[in-house]
Order: sequence, then C-alpha cells, then structure tokens
Amino acid sequence: MSAAAPLLDVRGLEAGYGEITVLWGIDLSLRAGEITALVGSNGAGKSTLMRTLSGLITPTAGSVEWEGRALQGADPKDILTAGIAHVPEGRRLFSAMNVEDNLLMGAYTRRVPQAVLARDLERVYTIFPKLHERRTQAAGTMSGGEQQMCAIGRGLMSAPRLLMIDELSLGLSPLLVEQLVEALKVLNQEGLAILVVEQDVVTALELSTSAYVMDMGRIVQSGVSADLMRDPAIRRAYLGALAE
Amino acid sequence: MLGFQVILNGLVLGCLYACIAAGFSLVWGVLNVINLMHGSFIVLGSYLAWGAYNTLGFGPWTTLLIAAPLFFTLGYAVQRGILNRVIAAPVLVTLTLTFGLDLMLNNAMLVAFKADYRRMILDPPLGTWSWGELVVPVDRVIAMLFALLLTLALYLILRRSRIGRAIVAVRLDREAARLMGVDVPSIYATAFGFGAAMAGCAGVLLAMIFPISPISSGTYLGKAFVVCVLGGLGSVPGAVVGGLFLGLVESLGALAFGPEHAVTLSFTLLIVFLIVRPHGLLGKRGFE
Repeated sequence: MSAAAPLLDVRGLEAGYGEITVLWGIDLSLRAGEITALVGSNGAGKSTLMRTLSGLITPTAGSVEWEGRALQGADPKDILTAGIAHVPEGRRLFSAMNVEDNLLMGAYTRRVPQAVLARDLERVYTIFPKLHERRTQAAGTMSGGEQQMCAIGRGLMSAPRLLMIDELSLGLSPLLVEQLVEALKVLNQEGLAILVVEQDVVTALELSTSAYVMDMGRIVQSGVSADLMRDPAIRRAYLGALAE
Repeated sequence: MLGFQVILNGLVLGCLYACIAAGFSLVWGVLNVINLMHGSFIVLGSYLAWGAYNTLGFGPWTTLLIAAPLFFTLGYAVQRGILNRVIAAPVLVTLTLTFGLDLMLNNAMLVAFKADYRRMILDPPLGTWSWGELVVPVDRVIAMLFALLLTLALYLILRRSRIGRAIVAVRLDREAARLMGVDVPSIYATAFGFGAAMAGCAGVLLAMIFPISPISSGTYLGKAFVVCVLGGLGSVPGAVVGGLFLGLVESLGALAFGPEHAVTLSFTLLIVFLIVRPHGLLGKRGFE
C-alpha cells in the first residue's frame, strides 16, 4: 500500500432519487493505476454510486475529491473532462449509430486535432479488433460482447484516467468475459485506473487489487481483494456453494 | 406525355415538401416538440425573399444565404429562451406553447403584411424549358434543386459533423449523451435552430412559385405533418421519401380526381397510414 494521495477520494457521499435516499454516507478511495472492484447484491446502490460519481445524479451530502479538487455537484461534462469516464449499466450505446460514430461520441468533449482522434480510434481498434471489422455497422445490431467492447471503447475515447464500468460481464459468455478482463488488465498496466461493478464476485476479486462491498446503500466491507476472497463471511454471502 | 408532365410536377412538389418537413421532423424527433410555428416560419421566409427582392434586388438564391443564419438564430433563441423552460413537461404543454407563439407570430405577420396575397415576380422571368410537349418552368426546377440541396445539407450535417452526431445521440439516448459530455439544452436549441432554418429557407424557395400570405401557414404545417407520418418521424431520408410520395400522390390524384381533391387525398392518406402503418414508410417501430 503506497502512502500516495488517492486519485479519487469520496467522503460521506449521500445521494438518491427525489425524496428517496439510496446512498448513505459512502467512503471510498481509489489510487492511480489500480483496479478497484465494487461488489454487492442487486439494489445495494452500486449503480447509483457510479451515476453519482459521473454527475448524472447530484449528491445531497458529502465530498468527492479528484486529485485534490472538489468534484461533488459538477455536471457530467466537467467530470468527463476532468478524466472520469463512465461505461453505464446496459452499455447504453447509440443503437442506430454505427460503431465508429459511437466511439467518436466518446471523444465529444475533446477539442483535439483530427490526427489525435484518428490515433485514439486506432488504439481502440487494436484493443478490440472486432470493432474495426464492425465499424460501419449499427451498434445496436451487434452481439452483447461486441456492444460491451464498443461501450468500453467509447469510454476510452475520452482519454480518461479513471474508467468506471458498471456490470462488466452481465449477459456475456465466460469466454468473452475473460477477453474483456484481459483487455482491462492491459489498459491498467498502461496506467488507467479502473473501478468495476461486477455481479460475479470471483471475477471481480481476481481482477482487482482492492475491493469494496456494498449493501443497502452503505460500504459494509473493504480491503485487499485477495484477503476478501479468503474472508469466510464474503464466501458465505456471495460465493454460495464454494464456501465449505 | 401528360403522365410525364404530372410526374414531373409531383417530383417538384415532392422535393419542396421534403424540405418543408425535414426541419419539422428533426424538431419533433429530437425534442419531442411538435412545433406549430413551422408553417409561420415558412411564410416569414417567403416574406423575407419577397422583401429582399423588392427592396434590395436580391434573387431568392442570395436570400437563402441570409435566411439560413437568420432563422437559425431565431429558432435557437426561441428554444433557449422559451421552450427549454418547459421541455420536460408533457407534450401537450409544448404543443400549447408553440400554438400560442404561432398565433402571435401569424397575427404579427397579418398586421405587418395584411392578408393580401403577394407574389414575388422575378424580372426578367426565368421562363420555361420545353422538351417536345413537356413544359418545365425554370423557377420550379431551381426551387426543386435548392430544396434537394438544403435537405442533403441537413442530412450531411446530422451524419458527418460533430454537432450533428450530438443531435442524433440526444435523440437516441439523452442520458447516455449527457455521459458523453453533451450539453443537452444547447443541443435542443441547435436542433430547433436547424428546424427553423430549414423552414425559413423552404419559405424563400416557395416564394418563387406560390403566392405569399400568412394564411398559407396552416397548409404548410399540414403538409409537414402528413409527410412526417408517411415517411416516418425523425429522419431526413424519411422526410424525403414521405415528401416525394405525397408530391406524386397529390399530382397524380389531381389528374385522376381533379385538383380540388388533392388535399382530401393527402389527408385520407394520412388517416390510412395512421391506421395501417403508423411508423411510416422508413420509420422503425418502437423507435421513439
């Protein structure tokens, strides 16, 4: 554990929908260049937390510090330009647009020369060669795995330093999940910090360095992923039959 | 030969209908706002062409260059200043609001220009081309070509430009577009601006062919409605297909049943489509 200042530091974050509070005082901190997993049952508030971090939901209390700069209450555009990209649950591609246009939408806020965009597109195509094959195809007509690649690629096109992925493996075959996990590891080695929400706790804990467990809108446990994997309580709650 | 003539007239009419409907369809599709001012914007564009020709001597093709930015600005301002305040409200609220704004705009035009029909008479006239028995008025051909050009320009903006992609993105998934950093209210205003610019430019072109009066606004609005339903909502190709279809049906129908039944025919078509194929010729079912 390095003592370096965290990349993202969340303290006492509260948020919800209208009158309903979903997040009750979330504390969370991510370090640069690390993969962090967020696990928990359905309705634990994981997606709400991500939506709050990316600015879709305005928090009612608490603080979000990004490299020492306050980000709570900022709008999605400012959060994206600060370097946080969000790959939402259900992928939310622009279904009638082709793959390349979807990727370019990811770079919407960047006012950079065409050559830089072309280079970044090339990089996404190198990571996911399938997308290059399908670049003129409407995104909505692709398989679930290809759509997830496109969604991650779209997130990467904003040149983020933190990529938040909601439900990485939902509806995908184990083989595809493995491919995506490998791609994420490569991206991580290049310095990208990743926060991943994942239903499959084993995948999540194997992929990540540290992890947070959420329940009922609160962080109930956190620590080094390898330790959590051995924790009897975690095994009982999330790994079911594997627990002896 | 008469058949060719009728088809040719239908195509001319159809291209103008496509131009009228493209902007209306864009606003309806992206903002879910039925802009009842569209017809009055068209008439205002016609008056602009008429005024620019009579006072400054500008031909309608020159006036297009003024009309496009002028109407874009007008549309942008109306959306930013007025409509964006109620954009989240049910569609009836925005419908009522544009209805009210249209009453104001239309009556302002009645006060300013009277209800008399005016004509923009080009001097010297552009004449006609004849080809055997086939007679083609040149002004109609020019209006048709410009209408096609404008519609194509709108299509290219939506498909190829950064701002156009953002408009389409907002139409497809507003929240995902926000995640991409798109400023949704500003995109709404831009889309409304494009819609108004298309209406204004269509008005300039229509002034070359048809007499100008504030009373025509309802007719133009009706055409835009029918074309959107025929072609399918929210896409430029839909407006083109719907426009050509309506133009041809009207001119062939006028030949078969007499010109007085052209309007009856187009609205009968509207009703049939609403019952049988409500998503239009090119529209996709369940594609909001």
